[in-house]
Amino acid sequence: MSEKTKEKPSVRSRIVPIVLFILAGILLVASVSGYALQGTQESKANLDDMRTSAVLHAASEGLINSIAQQARADKLAELRKDKNFRKRGLDEVNEICDGAMNEARAEAEKLYANPVVQDKPALESAIIAYETALAASGSLSQDERAAYADLYIQLVDNISDWKALAADGMDDDAVIAALGKTAPDLLKDENAHLRAGFVRLARDMAVKQQAKEDAESQNQLLTVLATAVPDWNEYAGLDKDALWEKLTAELPEIAAGEKFKDALLSDALARVEAAQKGETLSAPAESEAGAETVSETQADYRYFAATEDLAQKELAENAAYDALYAQLVTIIPDLGTLSSKLQGTLRENIEKVLYLEDDGFSARYNTYRSQKAEPEASGAWKLNLASLAQNLLLAGIAILLLGLVVFFWDPLTQRFGVSRTIIALFFVYLCLLAEFYNISVRMMMGNVLERMSMYGVLVLAMMPGIQCGIGLNMGMTIGCISGLLGIVLALQINLVGFPALAFACVCGAVVALPLGWAYSKLLNRMKGNEMTISTYVGFSFVSLMCIGWMMLPFTNPKIIWLLSGKGLRVTHSLLGSFAHLLDNFLAFKVFGIKVPTGGLLFLGLCCFLVWLFSRSRLGIAMTAAGSNPRFAEASGISVNRMRTVGTVLSTVIAAVGIVIYSQAFGYAQLYTAPRQLGFVASSAILIGGATVSKAKVSHVLIGVFLFEGVLVFGQQIANSIMAGGGLSEVMRIMISNGIILYALTQTGGGRRA
Amino acid sequence: MRNTNQVKSHLEKYIVTYLFIALSVLFIIASGLDINYVASQLLLRLNRNAFIVLALIIPIIAGMGINFAITIGAMAAQIGLLLTINWGVSGVPGILLAAAITLPLGAFFGFLIGKLLNKMKGQETIGSLILGYFANGAYQLLFLFIFGSIIPLNSNVTIVGASGVQNTLNLTGSVGLYTAVDGIAHISLLLAVYIFCGALALAAVIQFVRKKITQKRLLACIALAVVIAGVFCIPAVADVVNGSHGRELKLPLVTWLLILLLCLFNATIMRTRLGQKFRAVGQSQTVANASGINVDRTRVIAIMISTVVAGWGQIVFMQSEGIGTFQTYAAHEQVGLYAGAAILVGGASIDRATNLQALVGTFLFHSLFITAQSAASAMFGNSAVGEYFRAFLSYGVIAVALIMYAWRSAKQKKAGQMNLAEQRAAKS
Repeated sequence: MSEKTKEKPSVRSRIVPIVLFILAGILLVASVSGYALQGTQESKANLDDMRTSAVLHAASEGLINSIAQQARADKLAELRKDKNFRKRGLDEVNEICDGAMNEARAEAEKLYANPVVQDKPALESAIIAYETALAASGSLSQDERAAYADLYIQLVDNISDWKALAADGMDDDAVIAALGKTAPDLLKDENAHLRAGFVRLARDMAVKQQAKEDAESQNQLLTVLATAVPDWNEYAGLDKDALWEKLTAELPEIAAGEKFKDALLSDALARVEAAQKGETLSAPAESEAGAETVSETQADYRYFAATEDLAQKELAENAAYDALYAQLVTIIPDLGTLSSKLQGTLRENIEKVLYLEDDGFSARYNTYRSQKAEPEASGAWKLNLASLAQNLLLAGIAILLLGLVVFFWDPLTQRFGVSRTIIALFFVYLCLLAEFYNISVRMMMGNVLERMSMYGVLVLAMMPGIQCGIGLNMGMTIGCISGLLGIVLALQINLVGFPALAFACVCGAVVALPLGWAYSKLLNRMKGNEMTISTYVGFSFVSLMCIGWMMLPFTNPKIIWLLSGKGLRVTHSLLGSFAHLLDNFLAFKVFGIKVPTGGLLFLGLCCFLVWLFSRSRLGIAMTAAGSNPRFAEASGISVNRMRTVGTVLSTVIAAVGIVIYSQAFGYAQLYTAPRQLGFVASSAILIGGATVSKAKVSHVLIGVFLFEGVLVFGQQIANSIMAGGGLSEVMRIMISNGIILYALTQTGGGRRA
Repeated sequence: MRNTNQVKSHLEKYIVTYLFIALSVLFIIASGLDINYVASQLLLRLNRNAFIVLALIIPIIAGMGINFAITIGAMAAQIGLLLTINWGVSGVPGILLAAAITLPLGAFFGFLIGKLLNKMKGQETIGSLILGYFANGAYQLLFLFIFGSIIPLNSNVTIVGASGVQNTLNLTGSVGLYTAVDGIAHISLLLAVYIFCGALALAAVIQFVRKKITQKRLLACIALAVVIAGVFCIPAVADVVNGSHGRELKLPLVTWLLILLLCLFNATIMRTRLGQKFRAVGQSQTVANASGINVDRTRVIAIMISTVVAGWGQIVFMQSEGIGTFQTYAAHEQVGLYAGAAILVGGASIDRATNLQALVGTFLFHSLFITAQSAASAMFGNSAVGEYFRAFLSYGVIAVALIMYAWRSAKQKKAGQMNLAEQRAAKS
């Protein structure tokens, strides 16, 4: 290995990173000079000038729009008077009206677009006064609303029985005390002003809950009517009261439904009528109570109240606006002719120019530019550069990182593996992009932490499987289903809180033991094909259990389909049972990020136990059997037994994992929901650096962080790029399956030959 | 002694098939559906799906397992169909255009799939499955974000006010692709059966005259033809077929000719040099390699053929009677699962498959598919159970086939090792 032979290819391969470094250097220098330009007096003055013209433009824009709309309406009215109006097509009418509108707009623009400002300093000072007032009230209002939303979500996410909490006749203090049990922050002094609002919320929710329950029981009674009466002809000819009496006498369930007398009677009469004609009416449709879609709670600001401080600041803001408006009217007198609705729009438009959540240089610049405010020609490029400073910085960092990764490609990939390096780089890029799109990286990190505690244990379940030599255990869905069984059993016997959580975990693990054992016996006969078989065994088991969920004799009305009275529902809310229990345990806030302490601690504990196990005699034997079965067999280890140990362990951890997952999610989902979980867990652990034959605890933790990080950031960024599109879903599918494919190509080659 | 062994091994090979036959009969009885209705539905599904199922044969013979990546062929066909609808070409020319677009696209995709699967030998089944999932992501990217914005399309196929292709595209009416092939000509089932029996007997006689088959075989063939024809002469059967209280059973002639053509293609390609290569590679890659066959290239060709044929199969599926709409984002999803399950039901395994197995498998699988829902609601009073039972059957049959294959090859390996040890012992 002489120096010369090594050097030759390296020069060529280093051209790319060197070019990248130079590019990054240029961008960084440009960015630094941009930041420097932001600080100069000239730029500041120029920007302030832009602000003034932006405000004027916003004001005149409203006026011009109103004139143009008026012209269009006038033209339309004129056309309507014409006899031939109906003969004209819609397109033609629109064309004529639009023509008139554009004409009026052009004229108005000529008139108002360049208003003459006589007393510039007065206008500027009014603008500045309003801007400061807005900044003061705006940030305060934002903080208060955030605090309110926090409380709101805490309450709505964690309270299942509002009726008990705000029953009739309970006074406000009692309701507040009850609410405070769920959200202790509400009892703090600084939140006193919000209490009345939340009492109203609780009462409204109680009413809503009552209405929902009523609808459900009415539906149930209607089904009784539809199914329990053999022959409606017996009821023919009775008047309402007699009918009711006969019904209540014969069907005791109906007697309990005095409340729904009207609805029941009208249904019964319809049935009698139909029976006389020889028809039968069908039973009401099964209500979809359990199939509600699961979505994140959004705060409803109807119950919001401002503090006195905020109210005062808002008053000051109004005064400042009035002063500014007076100034504007002196410049553009016709502003006074606007209707009150348009006055409101005018204020909103001006507020949009002056109050920016992010009041950095470039945000201000871009807002003013969007209001057609042109910078002074001589300093235009400077302002442009200054406004681009942040983006240049981000691009510079991105290219620098790319250069570094290319430069150190070999040592990096040797140390961390190709997929982990690429995904990590991708994750950093997503963070940079989040900064570019002004998405709060902090909040995203909070989400990532939450999802780590949610998925961590599930991903950990992959580890013993890989270690014992069965590869990616796609059949971990067997464990997941055992865990779900544990959860519904806990719900069936109405357990609540930590006992419920513990019961679900233990019960799931107990069910998972024999299942995992049988499953491992199967896999031991199929060496070399485990992944394919485990995938399809998992799929089949999920479908089989779909029938199982329908058939199992659960009886608790909270978890079965209400009307047919059998079969478990698809989605089970764990509110009031053990939703978010671990995540809220010892949870605290740092930098506005909620840390789900309990969940993370539990994940850590599980990781520690698995690590401890892999260090024990049994664990070492298991890893040996997985990594080199022949050698293990030769040294007296029973490979099949070790594989059984690993598979059972993996299945049991999966059972616990799904319980943790469900508590973090707040819902347990049955039927086909667990089918793809094996793929999710596989891609996560592979991203973390594991291969299909080797895995460590660190792979689990890194993997779940990177995988969830990429998903959380990717989703937000994809939404900013293309709102409402499925871009993030596409990305998730491609990343998670691509990573498994890559892992397969690394090991599958030539196995069969 | 030999006979019982034969029966035993035959049973072992076809246990899934016999199980399905029993289940089918049970379900048809339990569902209480009109036999004429079941038969007409079955024929419909057979001509819809047979083409795609037949596409699985070549990769199986080439030793690549069940090619679940035929979903990618279906995606290629759907790109072809979308462009056809977009350009407003209708009828038979439209179908031909879609097929023409599918050919290069499918071949190219097949080439890529083959290259990738060569890197994961021994894991092709799972690899092609996950590749199908991955491609689904790429497909959505294409249809949601690239079509309509980067590649301009007509407004009648895009979502109004956003980029991307509509969720469902209509194939009926002015689009004119609905039953473009099926609707060309129909032939009554009875006539088709008689023609088939005649052809079978004729072919047997010709082969006998050319001394390709023994007399025993000839007689067996003729007897089979007579029996089949005879069965359809029984009044009860003829009643069902003629639909004296239902509708008459008919076959779409062109579609069935295409299916027969594909069967012929599958059979003849095995007689060519290429077919020999497929077989050799399927039996043992090491031996094939030693005898000068380019193993990787042969495997890529097998997948390319399979992908293109599956694409055409998807076109046949989409135009067929009773479909009428093109579910842009879902039409391809279950293609691999249902086709794979069907061919395995017919008695194929991971390393061998024939045309007959594919056709019988499609027939059996879909007879369960049609009746499962009604049978479940009759037996359990719950039709949702039938839906889940169908999914369980599809996945379960694949799992069982995979397990039996792995079990058998493990047994063979063990037997081989025992033989080797015996030989060694004998030598020493």
